[in-house]
Amino acid sequence: MHATRRLPFTMAGHLMRSASGPGALIGGLLFVMMMLAIGSLGVGVASLDVAQTVAHWWRAEATIATLVLMELRVPRTLLALLVGGSLGLAGAALQGLLRNPLAEPGIIGVSSCAAFGAVIAFYSGASVLAPLALPLAGIAGALLAVVLLYALAGREASTLTLILAGVAINGFAAAATALALNLSPNPFAVTEIVFWMMGSLADRSTAHLQLAAPLMLIGCALLLTSGRMLDALTLGEDTAASLGVRVGRQRLLLVLGTALAVGSGVAVTGAVGFVGLVAPHLMRPWVGHRPSQLLIVSALAGAVLVLAADIAIRLITIGPELKLGVVTALIGAPFFLVLVMRLRRQTI
Amino acid sequence: MPPYVLVASILMIALARADAAPPQRVVSLNLCADELVIRLGQPGTVKSVTWLARDAALSNVADTAHNFPVNRGLAEDVVPLGPDLVIAGAYTARTAVSLLRRLKIPVLELDVPRSVDDALAQIKMVAAALGVEERGAELVEDIVSGLSALPVHPARNVQPIAAVYQPNGLTIGSGSLVDDLLRRAGLRNLAVERRIDNYGALPLELLLFARPDLLIVNSADHSGPALAYEVLQHPVLGQRYHGTRVVSVPSAWWSCPGPRLVDAVRLLQQAAQRLPATDVRP
Repeated sequence: MHATRRLPFTMAGHLMRSASGPGALIGGLLFVMMMLAIGSLGVGVASLDVAQTVAHWWRAEATIATLVLMELRVPRTLLALLVGGSLGLAGAALQGLLRNPLAEPGIIGVSSCAAFGAVIAFYSGASVLAPLALPLAGIAGALLAVVLLYALAGREASTLTLILAGVAINGFAAAATALALNLSPNPFAVTEIVFWMMGSLADRSTAHLQLAAPLMLIGCALLLTSGRMLDALTLGEDTAASLGVRVGRQRLLLVLGTALAVGSGVAVTGAVGFVGLVAPHLMRPWVGHRPSQLLIVSALAGAVLVLAADIAIRLITIGPELKLGVVTALIGAPFFLVLVMRLRRQTI
Repeated sequence: MPPYVLVASILMIALARADAAPPQRVVSLNLCADELVIRLGQPGTVKSVTWLARDAALSNVADTAHNFPVNRGLAEDVVPLGPDLVIAGAYTARTAVSLLRRLKIPVLELDVPRSVDDALAQIKMVAAALGVEERGAELVEDIVSGLSALPVHPARNVQPIAAVYQPNGLTIGSGSLVDDLLRRAGLRNLAVERRIDNYGALPLELLLFARPDLLIVNSADHSGPALAYEVLQHPVLGQRYHGTRVVSVPSAWWSCPGPRLVDAVRLLQQAAQRLPATDVRP
């Protein structure tokens, strides 16, 4: 059953595993992530000596440079890592749960429903009164989408059913978001659908980070507990139950984790697509086909992908800043097409 | 004379020939035109203004505007009123304007004023179109005397630098009414020094490094939350130690030709005077 799903680089993956194992892979990803994070602090419209600025900050000397670093670039970098990590992890977990290689928070409509929830909380003014309303509404939207999706295409549904359900949920959420923005009395609201549909990290602040990070981390922690269930599920639900896995309870935790991780992230950065698709697929050849092994490396790969995309955005200075989702979709959509073609070839 | 005044004058002559009597059914399709027709128009001749005119956050004549029927800038709103003069903005309600022109309804288009002189010329032009030249001249005289009556403060060695920060992180540079008002208030405009013409983006990082003495934001004029305003509320702007003072100006005051321009300059001048001399860097 797994053999039919083997993806490219399998040989390389075997070699890699036999040589070093996932420990080395995690180490390598962490190293790349650290390098990118340091690089990310140095990239922006104003030029800034990172080392010197960090030294100033360490000695509690307040300068404009420390302000830019700590209040603009650090929250941006951390949000990129957290959002990317959440999406990568949620993608890996959903692919395991739905036993469907095309499952991804963006494609199946979880992100766009989260964006709809956040839009309601933001433009109604609820998030002005209670800032926590913003991530909570995002989580509620995401939860609704996962539950709906599971009802429509959960148990042993074909890849096609899942994607079609995702198309419908996505379409509905986008329309509902546009409607909500149209109803806002603020003249700027209508144009801001681009942010909610495409996502951006521009000018996000520590306030956004403080709001979303704890919820995202809780979500990720819940998702990380699902490894054993996902492994058992590859043998089928009945076998999993006979192995002593409490499938029902674990599945609930996974759904909640996805909603928390994706929903609160989308609420502060908008929907960023394809990360949850690309990250697990890039990692699968390196860790083999045990979903539990895939979780942590997919999170790291997602973080690396989003941070790299955000650095690219800051380096490409054409007019107004590009939206984050533009870059991830330009990379992710062709990737998605290749996966679809490969799946076709396998099913023939 | 700016080109649009010339074009408009020619248009006015054409209008005057077509119909010597002042227009009796005037419709405005633009927020700034609303203010002028409400202030200058003969009673009973203004048949419709835009719905924005009633919004106190955007309009200087929101109270009076409630006495006039409103339109939403659509040709359908305008045509049934059988107007003999429609005043529109050069960049707004374009589809309505092109339809009105096809129906041979006289349309006067107002360009965006790029200086106080432009604004005064526009007041005269609209007054002439409405057949109320004396009222127009009175209003212009009020503004001119209001501006010259502002106290003359001793010149500083170094003029303070101001940055205008608008929703979505936009700033306003040279060739704009706002820039002219800043100059009249004794402020240097950061956007001009950055060679930003008219509207342009000013990234938050650059704004911080530029350390303007004064940050000028629109006062709370929004009708609901929007991401566009988030950059203005970014916590980094609230940090005290970069030494920038913040002043807010109601956006209606400095967007349209009218007597509020004097208030805008006065407010800016007072803000400039309140800056401690030591804060002002060369």
